[in-house]
Amino acid sequence: MVKRKLGALEKVEADLPNLQHKVRRDPKSYVEDFRAQHYQYESHREIFMAAPTAATDTGVISLRELIDFISHVADCYPDITKDFPQQLIDMLTQHHLVLEPELREKIVGSLVLLRKKDIMDSATLLQTLFPILISTPSKTLRALLFQKILMDLRTSNSKTTNHKLNKTMQTVLFNLVTSDRTSSKGVWAVKLTRELWKRQIWTDAKTVEVMKETCLSEHEKVVTGGVRFFLGGDKEREEIEDESSDEETVDVGRVKHQVGINKKTKKKSRAIEKAKHNVKRKERKKNQPHPLNFSALHLLHDPQGFAETLFQKHLQNTKSNLKLEQKLQVLQLVTRLVGLHQLHIMPLYSYFQKYLTPRQPSVTSFLASLAQASHELVPPDVLEPLIQKIANEFVSEASASEVATAGLNAIREVCVRQPLAMNETLLQDLVMYRKSKDKGVVMASRGLLSLYRDVGADMLKRRDRGKEASMNLRSGDRKERRFGEQEIGAIEGLELLEKYKDEERRRKNIEKGLPSDAEDDGGENEEENWANWNVDDDEDSDDSGGWINVQDDDDINLSDSDDENEKKDGPPNKKPKQDENDAEKERIDTEKKMLNLATTRILTPADLAKLQELRTEAAINAQLPTKRGQNNNPASRHADDPLTAAEIEGLNALSAGKLTREEKIAHAKEGKTDRSEFKSSTAKRQERKVSEGKSTTNKEKARRKNFMMTLGKAKSKNKRSLVETRNVLKAHQDRQKRGGRRGNIGI
Amino acid sequence: MGSSSKKRKEKQKDFQAQKPKLKVGKAKPKPDNFTDTSFQSKSITLNQQSLRLSAPSSNTQFTHHLSLLTSKSDTQRRESLSHLTTAITSRPVDSPIPQPVSVILPNLLPLILDASTSVRTQLLKLLRALPARDIEDHVSQMMPYIRAGMTHLAVDIRVSAVEVLAWLVEVAGDEVVSCAGGWIKTLNCFLSVLGWHTEESAKWSANRASFGKAGNQGKAMIKVLGAFGGFLDAGLSDVDRDVDVDEGVDVSSEGGESWAFPLCQTEQHMIPSASVPYAYLNLFGQPRDEEGEMYETREDRYRVFANRFMPAVQRGLENARQEGGEIGRASSGASKALKEAVASV
Repeated sequence: MVKRKLGALEKVEADLPNLQHKVRRDPKSYVEDFRAQHYQYESHREIFMAAPTAATDTGVISLRELIDFISHVADCYPDITKDFPQQLIDMLTQHHLVLEPELREKIVGSLVLLRKKDIMDSATLLQTLFPILISTPSKTLRALLFQKILMDLRTSNSKTTNHKLNKTMQTVLFNLVTSDRTSSKGVWAVKLTRELWKRQIWTDAKTVEVMKETCLSEHEKVVTGGVRFFLGGDKEREEIEDESSDEETVDVGRVKHQVGINKKTKKKSRAIEKAKHNVKRKERKKNQPHPLNFSALHLLHDPQGFAETLFQKHLQNTKSNLKLEQKLQVLQLVTRLVGLHQLHIMPLYSYFQKYLTPRQPSVTSFLASLAQASHELVPPDVLEPLIQKIANEFVSEASASEVATAGLNAIREVCVRQPLAMNETLLQDLVMYRKSKDKGVVMASRGLLSLYRDVGADMLKRRDRGKEASMNLRSGDRKERRFGEQEIGAIEGLELLEKYKDEERRRKNIEKGLPSDAEDDGGENEEENWANWNVDDDEDSDDSGGWINVQDDDDINLSDSDDENEKKDGPPNKKPKQDENDAEKERIDTEKKMLNLATTRILTPADLAKLQELRTEAAINAQLPTKRGQNNNPASRHADDPLTAAEIEGLNALSAGKLTREEKIAHAKEGKTDRSEFKSSTAKRQERKVSEGKSTTNKEKARRKNFMMTLGKAKSKNKRSLVETRNVLKAHQDRQKRGGRRGNIGI
Repeated sequence: MGSSSKKRKEKQKDFQAQKPKLKVGKAKPKPDNFTDTSFQSKSITLNQQSLRLSAPSSNTQFTHHLSLLTSKSDTQRRESLSHLTTAITSRPVDSPIPQPVSVILPNLLPLILDASTSVRTQLLKLLRALPARDIEDHVSQMMPYIRAGMTHLAVDIRVSAVEVLAWLVEVAGDEVVSCAGGWIKTLNCFLSVLGWHTEESAKWSANRASFGKAGNQGKAMIKVLGAFGGFLDAGLSDVDRDVDVDEGVDVSSEGGESWAFPLCQTEQHMIPSASVPYAYLNLFGQPRDEEGEMYETREDRYRVFANRFMPAVQRGLENARQEGGEIGRASSGASKALKEAVASV
């Protein structure tokens, strides 16, 4: 036989990673070797499947390595490995309880790898992994599976939304939750859904439906998970969106420049590519329309039914085994739904009756929930007893100031939402608390007062009404809102647009030399408007780009008291009649105009863009501290925002007792960083000396000497005779000449 | 300053360590290596030692060495194997082996894939020492290990696995070819060892058995071809089979004679002599596919062989014959078996 040439590979010890590398480079030549390894895997699998529990260590290790190898190169030999995924699935589903942990993880990892190589599809993978996730007792496996499932769902939704997969998965989760309401397995539905919701992969009503079902579960963990989702899921989503939007921005120019200077490597060029890609992606993102993400609370079907069942199942039901904290969360959700969708759950209000005492733990949360639950369409006579009870229990001279503050704040919050719930005597009584000694109570009571100046000034005493309100009352301008009365709908900020247009027209007229009030010929204007139907990039962008006109904050005068202000404003108010008439006229005019603009014109996209701009401008102006009473009104809160216990507690901190000195120091030090690096060099030297355990100099000792011990010497100095004094002075002079006690000998 | 002060600190530490401070009125501090000798005891018991008056029986020794087969060290495994071999071979005639084969085998089988050559050779010796009749029932258990060995990455393990298979075919050829998965899967393994699967790889110029360390390639090939011949012979040739069938017929006819007149074919209704007579029904195992199926009759096996392997094997054998030399000679056995099989059909 001819002596065969030995390939380089044959000289080295063969191992699977080596073979894997070779196979990846040249699948066709190594098909025989792969086949051999596949047979090997088959035999090992056979051995293993015959007795999964009694497998030896070496057998398990080799099986694991073989699985790893085959899954890595499976895409090269699709015909040989066509059964491989199914075999892995069988192995995992049948024996996941007894499999050796590392082998188990390897199988899971290999399945995911096969999915990545598109050898199996997502649905199969999820159908395999999910049942194991909810049934396995092993914590590590659960963590792994959860992570893999999540990752797979994310990747399969990364390019386009994979509706089919999402739908099947959601159905699986829905069935999981609804099939057995008492089991804790629904937790996985909660976890998975919440995570996907957070990442905006699932944003549809079906997801919300799943979470709704989890809320109605009987297992407390599942219930709290579901409720938490509704209360906090959207906030979480916003946060993560903000995080992702302010990712590190790469300066392409800079990277390019650096490459020009430094050595050119593959890594650097890849960095440029990546930076370019990032920038491109960001551009694309900027041009994309903003995704319409509705909050979970808005996507609910039948919120009335949901809220009712929640209330009956978890709160009203005496057999429900939720803890107080969990109950509070459920209550928050129910009331949030009631407030948001203006639902009617009458038993809810009588349910509150029991909990409205200062001794109730976390009563502020209950108060906040009550406020959330009240809205315009709640009958006032349902709320009135509750308000009465809060007033009786919380607000009295005898109760602690924190309690009174909380009570007053709660009453105000309820009355903001349903002003009709208040009666005159109680209001007048509560308003009196603004003369209290406690700051928190004063603020709370003032809040109530200013609220009723707006919504029901006639219920206040004459002198409490304030100028504006009493003027309006006299003119009959301010009408009391009836129960169930609705405001006329309008486009928010339309009057701003109208005003802007008016100004523009005036400016143009002045430019043309016409009187500013002259009506220009409508046709031209119209034409122009149609011309910039679209938001013009080149012309309009500099206007609408980054700058927002902010009002000059010239008159910032903050005064504490209303009465003061009224007095100041009092004298110039001489001709009320005429003012009134003017105001009346103007109001009617603006109303007409607004309707005019909305009904006579079609708003172009350019108009809408301008409108948006004006709105933000107005919002920012409102934020500025211009006149008192504007910035501290709670109306700036969005209707969707929840009311928290902290808001009810209000300015409690003001009514708390004085801090001790230590607390003050600690408070002052709180935000300060360590400043040891800025110490003087002497101080540093001193410290080092101490730490090294060295002795101090005589000077330091003298400096540190106890004052009382130095007194004796100082006294004796006075008693010295002239001769002694002379000697001392002489000695001192001598020392000076010599240069110290030891003398300046040597160098 | 930094380094010097550090050094000084270290020096100071050393100094302190060397010289503990003595203080008036206090006991002298104890040195680090101080041993407390104040305790007293009448006797000392060392509980780790097991002393026996009688030496362990050969039976316990046998079991002990059986458990040592999973030891980490190569020499230990080899020693244990040789001990077991001597224990079996040197036992008095007609006495049973110390442990039944069903207990011994599960410990032995993983050693087919053992990395050490000496262990594998010793294993083969031990296997040869086992009584042939007892092996027959465990063939289906052994086959996966042998197949795993035949496709192992290391050439040496492949060769020794083939040797084991050759021995097994000698001892229980019928069971080897008719057990579940024993025919198709083993044939596949043979083809992959020989590199005959595809047209290109069967050519003599192809880089055969390309991956891994080439041991003594030529000799390995000869061994594999020899074993292949034996395997084909066991599976396809109708000589033994015919004899068997004839015997069967004879037995039945003889049985008919041996039983009293009215009883005929009573043999069929008696308790079967095989250990797992209904294995082909596969009542308790995993569902089998085509490859894992049992092919119990020669006709079945021939049909499958003709369908799947005939061209590849013929091509391979032809190439081997053309190569000439020892390989050509070795291939003649397999060719003969194949020819007989074809002729008999």
